[in-house]
Amino acid sequence: MSASAIFVLDLKGKVLICRNYKGDVDMAEIDHFMPLLMQHEEEGLLSPVMSHGNVHFMWIKHSNLYLVATTNKNSNASLVYSFLYKIVEVFTEYFKELEEESIQDNFVVVYELLDELMDFGFPQTTESKILQEYITQEGAKLEVAKTKVPTTVTNAVSWRSEGIKYKKNEVFIDVIESINVLVNANGSVMSSDIVGSIKLKTMLSGMPELRLGLNDRVLFALTGRDKGKTVVMEDVKFHQCVRLSRFESDRTISFIPPDGESELMSYRINTHVKPLIWIESVIEKFSHSRVEIMVKAKGQFKKQSVANNVEVRVPVPSDADSPKFKTSTGNAKYVPEKNLVVWTIKSFPGGKEFLMRAHFGLPSVENDEAEGKPPITVKFEIPYFTVSGIQVRYMKIIEKSGYQALPWVRYITQSGGTVATFLISAL
Amino acid sequence: MPYLGGKETVKELRRSLSNPNIQTDPLRYRNAVLRVIRAMSQGLDVSDLFSEMVKACATVDVVQKKLVYVFLCCYAHLNPELSLLVVNTLRKDCLDPNPMVRSLALRSMTNLRLPSLVEYVEQPLTAGLRDRAACVRRVAVLGWAKLHQLQPETDAAVVNELYGLLRDPDPVVMVNCLRALEEILKEEGGVVINKPIAHHLLNRLKECDTWGQSEVLRVLQRYRPQSEDELFDILSLLDSSLVSPHPPVMAATLSLFLSLCSSLPAVSQAAMERARGPLLAACGSGSREMRFTALCHIQLLLRSTPGLLGEHFKRFFCSYAEPVYIKQRKMQVLVELVNDENVLMILEELKGYCTDVNDDTAQAAITAIGHIGRSYSDKCLEILTGLLGLKQDQITSAVLQTIRDLVWVCPQCSDTVSLALEGCQDVLQDSQGRQALLWLLGVHGERVSSAPYTLEAYIDGVRSETSVELKMELLTSTMRLFLCRPAETQDMLGRLLHYCIEEEKDVCVRGQALLYYRLLQCGMEETRRVLHGRRCDPSVGVLTGRPAEPIRQWMSSFNTLEPLKHRSGETEAASRGSPEHHASVPKPSMDLPDSLDCRWPEVDHPDSAGAASPYTDPGVTLSLTPAVSPEEFERLWMRRQESAAEREDCLWLEETIRCTAVPRRSPQSLHAAMQLVNIQTLAFTPSHALPWKVFLYTHTLQPDASCSTLVLGELLYTGEAHQNPTADGEQEVKVTLRQQPPDIQALRAFLSILSSVLNTLSPEII
Repeated sequence: MSASAIFVLDLKGKVLICRNYKGDVDMAEIDHFMPLLMQHEEEGLLSPVMSHGNVHFMWIKHSNLYLVATTNKNSNASLVYSFLYKIVEVFTEYFKELEEESIQDNFVVVYELLDELMDFGFPQTTESKILQEYITQEGAKLEVAKTKVPTTVTNAVSWRSEGIKYKKNEVFIDVIESINVLVNANGSVMSSDIVGSIKLKTMLSGMPELRLGLNDRVLFALTGRDKGKTVVMEDVKFHQCVRLSRFESDRTISFIPPDGESELMSYRINTHVKPLIWIESVIEKFSHSRVEIMVKAKGQFKKQSVANNVEVRVPVPSDADSPKFKTSTGNAKYVPEKNLVVWTIKSFPGGKEFLMRAHFGLPSVENDEAEGKPPITVKFEIPYFTVSGIQVRYMKIIEKSGYQALPWVRYITQSGGTVATFLISAL
Repeated sequence: MPYLGGKETVKELRRSLSNPNIQTDPLRYRNAVLRVIRAMSQGLDVSDLFSEMVKACATVDVVQKKLVYVFLCCYAHLNPELSLLVVNTLRKDCLDPNPMVRSLALRSMTNLRLPSLVEYVEQPLTAGLRDRAACVRRVAVLGWAKLHQLQPETDAAVVNELYGLLRDPDPVVMVNCLRALEEILKEEGGVVINKPIAHHLLNRLKECDTWGQSEVLRVLQRYRPQSEDELFDILSLLDSSLVSPHPPVMAATLSLFLSLCSSLPAVSQAAMERARGPLLAACGSGSREMRFTALCHIQLLLRSTPGLLGEHFKRFFCSYAEPVYIKQRKMQVLVELVNDENVLMILEELKGYCTDVNDDTAQAAITAIGHIGRSYSDKCLEILTGLLGLKQDQITSAVLQTIRDLVWVCPQCSDTVSLALEGCQDVLQDSQGRQALLWLLGVHGERVSSAPYTLEAYIDGVRSETSVELKMELLTSTMRLFLCRPAETQDMLGRLLHYCIEEEKDVCVRGQALLYYRLLQCGMEETRRVLHGRRCDPSVGVLTGRPAEPIRQWMSSFNTLEPLKHRSGETEAASRGSPEHHASVPKPSMDLPDSLDCRWPEVDHPDSAGAASPYTDPGVTLSLTPAVSPEEFERLWMRRQESAAEREDCLWLEETIRCTAVPRRSPQSLHAAMQLVNIQTLAFTPSHALPWKVFLYTHTLQPDASCSTLVLGELLYTGEAHQNPTADGEQEVKVTLRQQPPDIQALRAFLSILSSVLNTLSPEII
């Protein structure tokens, strides 16, 4: 691993905060970072690792910050990047949003966290639930009297501390599936997949032992049952609390959950999904005068379901002006800073079809710069429905004290950002 | 914070820090310290406040302590004497009942990085190792590694104690112990992994977090299981980590598998296939840096197992919003994945990228199509010539450069190319593209009807031309065209030579023009011989599809920073300029960033290479590293004709090997057999062609690795009737070898290995 030092820089390359862990790389080396970045960007050779002499900078960008790790060793790149993302995750949990202002406002906590996250270039305590127990934002809380030792020391369960109490014991399970579909200009589906995640909000006392049952095809095949709909999951990732060995042997998902919100697992299903909202578009561009856009959206899901907050984003030329819209439902808005028309439909029942027409003027002087042809994207959310048909069959909660707890389940399908149709343009 | 008002601020801060009223009020005192730290992080030099801050650390407030320690660690090196004062407070804190305070004090004490303090730190660190709180032990263990940095000798007793702590109940302490021992014992090759330690680590792997797991897996690479049963036990234990959802853990496990199974290629292959799912998942990960890392490592894997991901090519299609560096890598991967089934779809997709707004992406896509064209020339040329029709200067330039490189490798497509060249010159802007056009016109001038007119336009404008390379290319092209179409070209060649000799300022251009001038004086035949001498020899076909490299070629750099450093632009840059100067096999060069401390496995285990090659003469070991690129090979080989001085630092040898049959029917098996004894074959003539040639190279190493030599060689089978036919119909292969530096003994040893390979192989082939 070994990162020699970690820096947080603002967009201009000024160091906001830094921590020298190993002391084998001169801290002044960071001054080369920004010039290098600019130089590489200009040459089109930008890459997440840059070198100056024998110092390597590995960097990520998050909102208006650069997080940079320096090293002079041939260190493990994927570990360094995961660590930088871990920092982002921890800081975000502390400050809600990680950006320049939050670093400046909370630099005391940042120093404390940097101290705990890594020592001598090696990651130490990175579980934010644990860190939150002894590093708090209101430093005043941390009085001398409170000498609570983190539970990790006892080495029982590193992600949950003991002695949690709730009046009403409940677990909320959210099954969220995002679908990514890419459709090319001829209307054929180029790629489609479903990325699902199961999120938990745990409000349970003590150290409960949970078991989750899904309609997993492999499990059903193992136990010889063969009824009802089952799903095949790929790339299943679990929160560290899940006992992987048990999942490997008999596909049981058993765990002691972290307190509060957490993502229990994520999976990917690689099947052919037809786009839930089908888009057809005709864009006619009359150079030097106007652009006319016609977009048709059709809900290709069950009639009983309703898609909420549907947003169709149609790119328009950057020099378009004087927008005029006509929609059969919802309303359309021009977002000039992103060169988009955003057509929002609050509720979109399955099987229905809607239409939007837009008209833009174009300046008579043509824009020289070549513009890409960004795809049309659709965003939506369909509650009480999963594309894959995954189901939570049961959630068993066992705790020493034997309390009764209630699991609540919710299903949501979302667009994963890239339900995209390329422009079908005439002319 | 105003930089100019810095002095004022420091003065004011000092006043408040030393104000007794503030000192007695914990909250106000802490606020004053806070302001100092804030000023410090804003870049203000507050080192003058050192003594005040030292006083401020004697407090019961943990937050204030932490802040003061941050300050002290930052400025301790400026005030070594004053830092001594802190040590007392720190040592007192090391005895605090609160484990958090103890660990904080220990950590800060070791972070001061002052050699003068070492003697005071040792005692608390030793005590820290036996502390009952795990968090203190964690810090203490790493503390010894930090101390080692300051003072290289570490007590053997401490090392022993650290070995003992590998059995600590806390997994982080265990992992930190490994890390510290690695650091302390770096000279001796790191922590010793014997059987009990290895098994202990394996059993506790599951308790560690992902960072720890990666660390343990990395260290375990040094372990060599004693029996095959043990090996397979370990492998099955690690199987679940191989499909771990965390890319670093998965990569570390794969790396461990590959190093454990270096002698079992089938198992390595199976491991890579098992890791395929997680690898693909990592390529689709949310973070682009992780995606980039995964792609770079997939490129490594593909070097040895080209078929690993063939059917998953769609995963490497670029999406609109991805940064250029990812797109470029994806295209490079796509080129590797091409096979008969998917080639149309991949080309269709790449074609879409060729018109990308971003020039770098477009250029990378065009280059990628060019690479695919080496195996599927018709389809690719169709796309490339179609792109010329767009009349966009950047695209035309990139396409012409690609076509130039492609034609050099696949002479059969010259006809199509010649047709496409018409009308390109008006679109071109940059000198790279124009150079490519000139080269093509020179070589295929006889088939492009407008070639003389195009050249004439360039010659008329040569006065205002700035690029030296372009002028040189123009000279050569005009000369070549003159050879095949003298009537049309004679006049303009005269003008060009006149200008270049009489008026040109640049020495290179002038020199070349003079050379050509004198060459023409020697007569047409001589000129033709020189200018056409280095045409691509159609009988030397380039190996289609790179041979799979052995895994250990890249094993040492797997899961490190190094694969990321391999510039994506490198292959493109290599193809700039005439292909004569840069031969065209897209072999990734093995040049390593010199700062990365990566060692070649051959150096680590000099015996492993020997063990793997049954034919090796005990007197010499062969090795493939450092690799020789085809360009380099050609350069060295061509020197043969050149100078006498060359003959002093290297040795040329011609020999004849007799074997029952020449194994020319099956280049694959010859290649594989040569690889087995660490001889790399670079190029073959097609098996039916005569004379039949093979080019190869290797490095010889003395057993004590004291001196190594580079051996380049050519096998030649003329197929003519034997001058002195032997009884059993043996055939003769002529071997020409070049060795640098000379070492005749090693060369003889190499020759005996080579002949034994040829002789072993030949009966099998027939």
